[in-house]
Amino acid sequence: MNANHQGPGPVVWAGIIAVTCLLLFALQKMLWLVVPFLLALILYYMLRPLVQGLVFRGMGRDGASSAVMLGFLALTGAAFALMLPRLAAQLADGESMVERYMKGGLNLLERSLRLLEAKWALLANAQIADTMVHRLNNMGGHFTEHIEPLAMGIAAWMPSLLLAPFLAFFFLRDGGRFKRFLGNAVPNAFFERTLYLLHDVDRTARAYFQGLIELTVLDTFTLAAGLWLMGVPGALALGFICAVLAWIPYIGSILGGLLVVLVAATDFPDTPAMAYWAITLFIFVRLLDDFFYMPLTIGKSLHMHPLVTVIMIFVGGAVAGVPGLMLVLPVLGVVMVIGATIGQIVTDPRLMARHRHARLLRRQQASVDLTP
Amino acid sequence: MVLGLFRPKPVSPRLERLHSLFLFVNLTPAELAIVDALLHERDYLADEVIFDEGEDGQAIYIVLEGKVSIRRDIDGKPMVLAEMEPGAVFGDVALLNNAPRLAQARAAGPCRLAVFFREDFMSLLDTHARIASKISLQIARTLANRLRDVRIAPQTSQHL
Repeated sequence: MNANHQGPGPVVWAGIIAVTCLLLFALQKMLWLVVPFLLALILYYMLRPLVQGLVFRGMGRDGASSAVMLGFLALTGAAFALMLPRLAAQLADGESMVERYMKGGLNLLERSLRLLEAKWALLANAQIADTMVHRLNNMGGHFTEHIEPLAMGIAAWMPSLLLAPFLAFFFLRDGGRFKRFLGNAVPNAFFERTLYLLHDVDRTARAYFQGLIELTVLDTFTLAAGLWLMGVPGALALGFICAVLAWIPYIGSILGGLLVVLVAATDFPDTPAMAYWAITLFIFVRLLDDFFYMPLTIGKSLHMHPLVTVIMIFVGGAVAGVPGLMLVLPVLGVVMVIGATIGQIVTDPRLMARHRHARLLRRQQASVDLTP
Repeated sequence: MVLGLFRPKPVSPRLERLHSLFLFVNLTPAELAIVDALLHERDYLADEVIFDEGEDGQAIYIVLEGKVSIRRDIDGKPMVLAEMEPGAVFGDVALLNNAPRLAQARAAGPCRLAVFFREDFMSLLDTHARIASKISLQIARTLANRLRDVRIAPQTSQHL
């Protein structure tokens, strides 16, 4: 009668991976809902301790959720209002700024390639610098043409992002009720296991998203400290952007690194060493991230073998592209918990027998005065 | 107006019923409201198994209505060790030490139970230590009463 404590078998694992892939495939088709949902979850796990604190001080859950969400919106609004003049000034010359940084990056690349050509005759014969710069110049021309549609795309996304605080408010207010509602829908025989499952899903998601927030803070401050020491302007903002980009495995890190190098190369055009230092700093932070910060934050949450994690990131990317890279770990974590629990329930003969017995009792009770 | 949000509110009949239970008798209305949000209610029919001997214990049960019998196989024969009346608590040993259930719990008649999930109780220890300590004290009192019963009727005391 003991519960089955063995991990999921190969069949359950195959099911978990298949369901994860199917979910990723489906979710990428409705990113307008998935992205605000994920942001709402992050907001929910950030604000939940505040709501709990107010409830403990005698406030109702509805009132506490409303107060915390209104407070958050007021703070965000105030911060936005303070930043608006600066942001507007930046956006006004946004196109020329992008071109300036692209040019700075190209100059750095050309200078580095010319240096290599001077040392390696093979590269000089191949005229690698001229070929590369010519190609990138052509690409740059196309890039500026794409800026406007990109900006329009971001503007079109904004309304759906406004869903995030709306969803987070309902998670805060009705999360407990939803958990009870799910628990009530489950037959008595599976009730304790289901409670444990719901708790585990909540624990996994909370640990993942809180870990993500901690990782972002650590990455932001480490990068900002390094960039500030190097004398790069806007170190904190740059560190924060790179830390948020790192939410997308691999691609996000590359984009973040590229951004830092472009800024260093443009703001210090006569000191190419600054760009090389920026690359070194970025690689150092990535190593720190992979071997120190990640295991301390997100790594604790999923209890997954590192090999499975890496393989699933590639599978996520293959199935659903960049959204797949971003979503694969949280989706896999949740599917893994649900799959393992369902596997335990359906393979436990005693639980199934108890469920059949309870159904029989209910059928008998329903027809107790109907027998001829 | 803002301070009014923190003013004590009239206690609902549901919270009054919770307050009448031995486990929650020391809790204030605000604390009861927090515990109430964590409790689940389940209905069982006569003879329905609530949990089995040897099963992983994930929750503590409180009888709200009806009766529950605690059984154990002794020499291959099922023996009723105790009958739980409304207000009684069972499953508490598993709650405290995460051990397998020591006996089977079965509905002696149609009954309604309040269920307090182990992990919810554990998170209370972190988030609301005051509430958790009050409940822990009541559980300790239940166990002390049971220990005292050992001296009176040893065969019925080790049921959970």
